[in-house]
Amino acid sequence: MSMAVDSFAASVRRFSPRLLLSELLLKQWFEPVVPFTVMIGLWAYFALTIPDYASVQNSVSLLRLFAEFGFVALAMGFCLVTGGIDLSVGAIFALCNFAALYFLLVREWPVGLAVPATLLVGALLGSINGFLIGFLKTRPFLTTLVTLIILRASVNLLNTSYAQVFATNSIDSDAWDFIGGGSVLGIPVNAATLFVVLLICHIFLSRSRYGWHLTAIGASRKAARHAGIRVRLMLFMTYVLSGTLCAASGIFYASRQASTDSTTGVGWEFQALTAVVLGGVSLAGGKGTVWRAMIGALIIFLLTNGLVRMGIPGYVTSAVTGLILLAAVGIDVKWSKNRGKAIQKIYVNPAFVPLASAPSVQPGAASPYAQNDRLIHAQAIGLDQVEGPEDVILDRQGRVYGSTRDGNVMRFSGPNFETREVFAHIGGRPLGMQFDRDENLIVAVAGMGVYGVAPDGRIFKVTDETNRTWYKLNDDSRLRMADDLDIAPDGKIYFSDCTTRYEMTTNTLDILEGRPNGRVVCYDPATKTTRTVINHFYFPNGICVSHDGKSILIASTSLCKIFRHWIDGPNKGRTEILMDELPGNPDNINRASDGTYWLALVGIRTPTFDLAARKPGFRLRMVKQVPTDEWLAPALNHGCVLKFNEQGEALESWWDPTGISHSTLTSMREHQGYLYLGGLENNRIGRIKLDGVDESWTGYDAYWGAKSRVTR
Amino acid sequence: MGLFDHLLRDIRSVIDRDGGQNAIPPLDGALSPNDRLDTATPIGEPLPGIDDVIADGRGAVYVSAGRNVWKLSGSDFTTLTLVAEFEDEAGGLALHPDGRLLVCVAGRGLAAIDPAKPAPRWLEVADGRALTGLLSVAVAPDGRIYAVEGSTGRRPDQWRHDVMEKRANGRLVTCGAGLDNPQVLLRDLPYPYGVAVSADGKSLWLTESWTHRLSRFALGGNGLGPREIVAGNMPGYPARLHPDGHGGFLLGIFARRTHLIEFVLKEDDFRAEMMATMPLDYWVAPALVGGSDCLEPMQIGGVKALGIQKPWAPPRSYGLLVHLDAEGDASDSLHSRAGGRFHGITAACATPGGIVIAARGAGRLLLHTGDLR
Repeated sequence: MSMAVDSFAASVRRFSPRLLLSELLLKQWFEPVVPFTVMIGLWAYFALTIPDYASVQNSVSLLRLFAEFGFVALAMGFCLVTGGIDLSVGAIFALCNFAALYFLLVREWPVGLAVPATLLVGALLGSINGFLIGFLKTRPFLTTLVTLIILRASVNLLNTSYAQVFATNSIDSDAWDFIGGGSVLGIPVNAATLFVVLLICHIFLSRSRYGWHLTAIGASRKAARHAGIRVRLMLFMTYVLSGTLCAASGIFYASRQASTDSTTGVGWEFQALTAVVLGGVSLAGGKGTVWRAMIGALIIFLLTNGLVRMGIPGYVTSAVTGLILLAAVGIDVKWSKNRGKAIQKIYVNPAFVPLASAPSVQPGAASPYAQNDRLIHAQAIGLDQVEGPEDVILDRQGRVYGSTRDGNVMRFSGPNFETREVFAHIGGRPLGMQFDRDENLIVAVAGMGVYGVAPDGRIFKVTDETNRTWYKLNDDSRLRMADDLDIAPDGKIYFSDCTTRYEMTTNTLDILEGRPNGRVVCYDPATKTTRTVINHFYFPNGICVSHDGKSILIASTSLCKIFRHWIDGPNKGRTEILMDELPGNPDNINRASDGTYWLALVGIRTPTFDLAARKPGFRLRMVKQVPTDEWLAPALNHGCVLKFNEQGEALESWWDPTGISHSTLTSMREHQGYLYLGGLENNRIGRIKLDGVDESWTGYDAYWGAKSRVTR
Repeated sequence: MGLFDHLLRDIRSVIDRDGGQNAIPPLDGALSPNDRLDTATPIGEPLPGIDDVIADGRGAVYVSAGRNVWKLSGSDFTTLTLVAEFEDEAGGLALHPDGRLLVCVAGRGLAAIDPAKPAPRWLEVADGRALTGLLSVAVAPDGRIYAVEGSTGRRPDQWRHDVMEKRANGRLVTCGAGLDNPQVLLRDLPYPYGVAVSADGKSLWLTESWTHRLSRFALGGNGLGPREIVAGNMPGYPARLHPDGHGGFLLGIFARRTHLIEFVLKEDDFRAEMMATMPLDYWVAPALVGGSDCLEPMQIGGVKALGIQKPWAPPRSYGLLVHLDAEGDASDSLHSRAGGRFHGITAACATPGGIVIAARGAGRLLLHTGDLR
């Protein structure tokens, strides 16, 4: 049976909103999506209800009003990222506003001197906070509360002394007027400056070493200190930066309003705090970006401004802001605590699995799949000395290798295979193996990629990444779970990466999910490049290059089918179904001496599991409600090896229906008249004598030697 | 079943905690798992379809297996005598104080065999409906007979349909010593499996499998008193209970509850299709025996690791015999866990030679000579 597989694959690659959501939630950039939507929504609401709200003129004037608050919110954002808080931002802002006016009006300094001087004042005020918090290790909340009170009192005191001077004098400077009312490319100068500062701060926070240090301190001060970060200095500098940003804000405010009174900047610290937390900068520290701070600031600004424009009294606006702060803080705490759990809850998304009907395996039936007990008395190699040899292979010297769960490739040699040695310790979970022409053992290692072991035991990396799928949210460039591999006559290594959504330890979830999350990948040693050959494949497992070298056979464990993908000849690039109806979940495929193929069935399909495959909702609820150990699985305690031919017809089967010797049977290799058996969870390598086969045939010769059937 | 139904049910399970979805209690205390049942000695040859076992008080036991009732006597119960053969499966047994043997026969009713007379007397109908599904019978010291029918009008071998359909259709029937004047005492019971009368004749004990419940009723002059639930949420499906000779009882638990079965019991859609399309043995349902057929449902924890089946794996079938004290509290237990040999315990009785256990799943009669208090 052979049919084009493309339409088949397209019919099952369904869109799942849950899947999209779970992958979106994993993304850092997705977190501020809710505040962003709120911001757009607010703007749209006011645009609809307030006349001329969306006009260019209004937008420009809104921007001019916003910029100063934006600086203060940014200052607050930085302090929150380091795990602290700066309650004195409003007071510093007010004091700097005063300072700028004082320098210009009382001292009559030129603008070029007054601006840096004011910035210096801000930095100095910030450095008081920074010194106390960074070096004296006082609590940020109390410290900045105290500076807030002191600075606020000072501002009021100074205001009363100089109010008259400020009211009667005016500044005659074009530069000062430009700062207060000028525009750059139509954008108010203060907003333009804010945007430039935001860009610089974004790059600083997300791309520079010191930005990372800040975030690290916020995430865990102790760990940051242990990592050698100069915590005290970094904290000090953060508050200095905060003070400077507030000073910038004060300068713009002074130039725009040219006045100061006791209400300047009152309550800004709480507005800024609300804004920043609302935007998604965590109160707990270590999480946040300047854009999140700005989104939050815009929401608060739009809300306050809009409510005022709608004629709602100021105390109501304050109350609303307070309630928003309460909600934002609550959500922040709950979300940062439960985000992982929420993702976990919706990550598994079972889909309908289009299984073909299962052929009968009843003992004594005429089917080639009829159960028998031909594997029960298999000779055991390395009994209890090997842990889960997923794949077995033999070299030219007749030594047998097993890839085990402890990250080793074990080797058994000697007349009765009693000499046991660790051939190579690769790590990860070594799975499928194959010898290349130079007798290097190429191993697919789950969690690592594809590695090679030279005959002398030297380990080298072949590849661990492939090209990324551009439209996928999950970065799938890394190889997640390389499962089996085979080598084509031209030396290209074809291997399966059975899932891009799960790991070795959770791959049962992939089978339960029943989505085409795997892929078949090819490594070309000539160009040393790795490319994905077939993307979106249902748990590709066993890979075998056909005897003629023109196609690869791919076992799909979750679909219970064998596919053929042409790599050469007229059909190159096409994928077909080779075996449609299998009684179990196929694992590794390997060549047999007579020009046919061996196939291991790791699990037998049970009627209940097949029914569950047709009911995604059932599986979803099972994964959620039933403990892992109690999930329904295919029958994994019954070993079965099949033989099938080039046309995809099953010829014979070998069973251990009891699973006493061989359960979770995943691999088999023919070598000089014997069949060697490996199992994912087994404690041995099995061996049975085959009758009527070519007793000189070895795997190596079939690939690289005299027994090769490759046609040129 | 739509999304909304599932949501509603989840909400209900939070609000109404005593509803039908009680969590499966862990096996601990007197029910702590062990392998003592696996160390019991099998008696004689396998007896396929073995169901109930009772002691005659003189060192011999009566056993129902398939269509036959056997008497096993002598040392180590080596002498096997055929007591009766029926046209259908023989189930629950009891000895009447006057020497007659009472046998529940599937599809027919209650038979009373007088050793002196060859033809048994029958009780076949109660309250106008045939007694096709009798499971257990017990006799009070005053000679009154009590019997339970698991599901009215349904043969005992259809018990798996009954549990998966979530039926509560059983009856408690009583009749006079002469099988006369049958009366239905309780109806709409969720599969009453075992019935026993305390030695003093003052209380009647009843197990209901589908609600995992053991109840006690006062027996007085004017019939059955109110129900008192002794154990409301057992970790398995209780079968028969027989006196241990010291005021307590031996209770066979024929299968363990698993999370998967409880889950499937909530999934109406899946369950309906499963029952309609699959052979009985391949259902996700309680089982008396399992693990050998590759088409049976398999659970992840049951996967053999390094050649070993974990005994604590979710069991397809389980062997559990519980000893209850006079108050009905579990005081000791014998287990045969996942991968063990003697599963599906339906009855056990105490004899001077030890405790004789009917393992219906294994088709064996077992002798346990150790402690069981």
